[in-house]
Amino acid sequence: MTTTQLTTSAPQWLHDMTSPSTAVIQQKSKTPILDPPGFTALQTKQQKSKTPAPVRKQPTPEEMDTLKLKKAWELALGPAKQLPMNAIGMYMTGNSLQIFSIMMVFMLFKGPIGAMFSIQQTFSRLETETNRGQMLLVKAAFVGCNLLALALGIWKVNGMGLLPTTRSDWLAWETARDPLERAYFVPS
Amino acid sequence: MLLPLLSAATLLLTPSLAVFQDEAFHIDYHFALLGAPKESTTFFHQPNPASKASLIYTLSEEGALGAVNPRDGSLVWRQLLQGQHQSNASFLRAGEGQDLVVSGSLNQVAAWSAEDGRLAWRTATDGVLRDVEILELSDGKEMVGAKDAVALSGSHGAQSSVVRLDGATGAVKWTYEFDGSDEAYQVSASSTHIYAILLHKTLLGYLRIRVVSLDPVTGKKIDEYMLSSENELATADTIVSVGANSASPIIAWTDAAHSTLKVNVVGSKAISSFTIDQHAGETVARVQVHAPYHINSLSHFLVHYETATSHWADVFHVDVNNGKVTKAYSLPKLAGKGAFSTSTSDANVYFTRITRDELSTVSSASHGILGRWPVTSFGVVSGIGEVIEPVHAVSEVSVKGDAVSAIRTVVLLSTGDWILLRGGTATWNRPEILASTVAATFAMPAEVEAFAERLQAEASSNPVSAYVQRLTRHIAELKDLPALLVSFPQRVVNGFLGTSEDDLASDNFGFHQIITCATRNGRMLALDAGNPNRILWNRQVADLKKEQAWNPRLASSKGGEVTINSQAGTGFRYNISNGEQLVSILPVDVEGDAKAAREVRFTMTDSALDATVDSKPAWHFSPASGQTIHSLVPRPVNDPVASIGKVLGDRRVLYKYLDPNLALLVTKSSLTLGPSNTATFYVLNTVSGAILHASTHNDIDLTSPIATLISENWLAYSFTSAASATAPKGQQLVIGELFESLVPNDRGPLTGNQNYSSTISTPEPYTLTHTYQIPEAISKLAVTRTKQGITSRQLLALLPDSGAIVGIPYNALNPRRPVGRDATKDEQAEGLLRYNPVLEFDPKWLLSHQREVLGLEEVVTSPALIESTSLVFAWGLDVFGTKISPSFSFDILGRDFNKFQMLGTVAALGVLTFVVAPLVTRKQVDQRWKFL
Repeated sequence: MTTTQLTTSAPQWLHDMTSPSTAVIQQKSKTPILDPPGFTALQTKQQKSKTPAPVRKQPTPEEMDTLKLKKAWELALGPAKQLPMNAIGMYMTGNSLQIFSIMMVFMLFKGPIGAMFSIQQTFSRLETETNRGQMLLVKAAFVGCNLLALALGIWKVNGMGLLPTTRSDWLAWETARDPLERAYFVPS
Repeated sequence: MLLPLLSAATLLLTPSLAVFQDEAFHIDYHFALLGAPKESTTFFHQPNPASKASLIYTLSEEGALGAVNPRDGSLVWRQLLQGQHQSNASFLRAGEGQDLVVSGSLNQVAAWSAEDGRLAWRTATDGVLRDVEILELSDGKEMVGAKDAVALSGSHGAQSSVVRLDGATGAVKWTYEFDGSDEAYQVSASSTHIYAILLHKTLLGYLRIRVVSLDPVTGKKIDEYMLSSENELATADTIVSVGANSASPIIAWTDAAHSTLKVNVVGSKAISSFTIDQHAGETVARVQVHAPYHINSLSHFLVHYETATSHWADVFHVDVNNGKVTKAYSLPKLAGKGAFSTSTSDANVYFTRITRDELSTVSSASHGILGRWPVTSFGVVSGIGEVIEPVHAVSEVSVKGDAVSAIRTVVLLSTGDWILLRGGTATWNRPEILASTVAATFAMPAEVEAFAERLQAEASSNPVSAYVQRLTRHIAELKDLPALLVSFPQRVVNGFLGTSEDDLASDNFGFHQIITCATRNGRMLALDAGNPNRILWNRQVADLKKEQAWNPRLASSKGGEVTINSQAGTGFRYNISNGEQLVSILPVDVEGDAKAAREVRFTMTDSALDATVDSKPAWHFSPASGQTIHSLVPRPVNDPVASIGKVLGDRRVLYKYLDPNLALLVTKSSLTLGPSNTATFYVLNTVSGAILHASTHNDIDLTSPIATLISENWLAYSFTSAASATAPKGQQLVIGELFESLVPNDRGPLTGNQNYSSTISTPEPYTLTHTYQIPEAISKLAVTRTKQGITSRQLLALLPDSGAIVGIPYNALNPRRPVGRDATKDEQAEGLLRYNPVLEFDPKWLLSHQREVLGLEEVVTSPALIESTSLVFAWGLDVFGTKISPSFSFDILGRDFNKFQMLGTVAALGVLTFVVAPLVTRKQVDQRWKFL
């Protein structure tokens, strides 16, 4: 309503200024005046972008599955890619029991274990009825990679001497032998 | 810059086990003792002739010579003479106005500076000394400089002689040798003569007194005569006195029944005879003569008669001109024992009498009492119902007009305490009886042990019942709450000032153990290890004859009591908190162990070891020919071991050879045989008698002490090797450790068997040893003991030459220290350093730090209730005790913990909270009212 009022009462420039887009479109459609050189009209742009869009066709479900599988493999092998980095970090922190190295080892354990517990969630987006069989393999790979990270953690913990793998760790459970006889010195 | 860094680095490298500065003199205690003073060698004397201040000098029965400040009883100086524990063979004299005191013991005459105890000179005589006197000559030219000394010496059966020694240098001025083989008895000097008294044995076996008078200047004989003491003297014991250095020296003796007293003034042949009153049929047990010891004092003397229940005295005067002795007056008979002391002031002589409850002084001229002081308390503790009696006394009297203005008396009491009475009040006391300690042990008070057992029960039961037990214990403890609340402010203050003197019962750490000591004269006394300045009780437990040995052994089988086994009897039990004797039901077997099925008992005779099982002989050990047994140390019965293996740097395990039936036996060549002195050290299995390890050392100085120790799975011994063509004389400390196998993780042939019998199979241990060259001889070795044996061990060694006790950390001696190479990384992780054959005693290891602890002979250790700490008590002449934490005090706050700082921080935080709280509330409220 306002537009019509404006067109009737207000001058054309004002109308053009208040609603420039409509003005341009109107101008385009109505006036025969050529655009200034170097001016790229909005319309042409619209025409350019519109030309490929209609040709893009929806991917087939098979294609979708391959894509999702590809993505899932990427996710599954992600932890393995972090391994060398983690290994270097662990090697650098040394085997002494310090708050820093303990924290790092804790993170090392927390990451893979957490990831393994949330495995369904991680892959639920990528799982479909059709690729379920292949997905199993992917999940197994994911678990394997996380286990590798865990192994790194265990290697580190062993290096720090926290694993009861040696004889001395079980020494407290070994008991001394009791002699059957007891000798007493009797001062003469 | 570099130096502090370096020292910091060395601190990190070496285990700095040490006595901390803030703990020294707080956790340790030391009694610098002299031993029981002898009456004849105790006197007041001015060390500086110009000043009037005097010191008390004494030469004790332990052979310690020293000066004590009469003001507070502190020791001014002290010297140990040779020939300890030999009474009646030492002498101490001081010339009037001299700054030297002259001592004589064995064959040594020595002069010491009276002020600081430095040796002025020392001279040896040919025979054993019989007497030493100072020559107080009246002719002017001899008085210049130090006064000369006269010494009488003579060995048994050999010729006796008198020598005059120069007072300044100790050089011999002249010697006079007596003809015949009469036994030398005493020498006394008047102003013109030296009289030597010898005892001549008649054909009938009686003694006659032979007096030889000598010229003091030339040493020529002037006269000689025999006193006709017909058949009265059977032994020298009934000679009461030979008064020395007085205007008219006397000889007094009685017959064996103490019925007549005979007195002879030396120089005359007349003998005065007096009948001793037999009061109420009581026999006189002892007669003593107290005579002044000054050449220009009145020749009056006092004869002190003593029966079993009472005592009295007579005073006699000697007429100097004609040598007549007359009785002047008597002092009344009083019940109990008494002591008399003689003091002089110019020519006047005063006698002071000390009884159980009174001190009184009379002049020798008349029986009027010049001063009388009631003695309410001697200020020492005794056994229950025991009356403390004075034994002997020495006084210093100052007289103004007709009354005594001041009197100081040092009294040796029957409890063995040496006290000073100023007037009638006890000023200080020195527990000299501790110097004659022959056995000591730690004992836990019954309450503390009960508490420890309760905690143990709580720890070992299941959590629920433990919680219930704890709850009921706390509820039961609630009844002590009011008393606790009352004493709480005081406790807090004490805790802060570090002056807490907590009582025995509330000792949660086990520091307040009671040390019971048995002494050579048959007494027993108790000290609190946490508060050692107080003797808890002191009582006679054995009635011994003079010089009778009783070889007591003390043990504490359970809390609150101690058991004595001795030659006087076995199985006497005493309550340790008050010394009360407990009714002995059965002789308790202290070392009984219920677990062992069969008991093997072994004893050591002079030349062999014999063991029996069920009273049948089990095994016999006799040393190789030419060897005798020197000592035997079995592994302690209560020797807890925390871990059965040693964890190596690579976390493998070397298993310890742990067998409770181990003993370390030392045999040495009998001194008479051959020049090569060897000692062999055997580790024996005392069940089977098998020798598990033996090592022989040649060229040993067998006159030096050999200290041995066996504990856990290791042994240590120390000896002095004699100088030889290839090696100088030196002391060595050998340490050996026994392992089941030297292969890690191997438990030896018996592997993990639960039990085994040594008679069936005795696997041999693998022994590693290291020998260290140490700077001085060790007379005794001991090891720290803790409750569970988790804390690392320290080897305690008594060093007699430097008067110290040193705690050597085991790791410094570890026999696994690598030889000839640096330690590998794994070995460094264990704290092993490269072996160095020379072991210097780090000054930080000295437990006695600045103290000079003389004459220590034995050391015992006891675990406290907390694991980190071990209590140590060493005795001999001195008594020294401390508590040590070999692995630092990991379970208790040290003295360096700043309570003020902690409380201050808490208080500051509290104040801060109160100040900030309203500010924060206001801010929060303000925020609510703000529009966003």
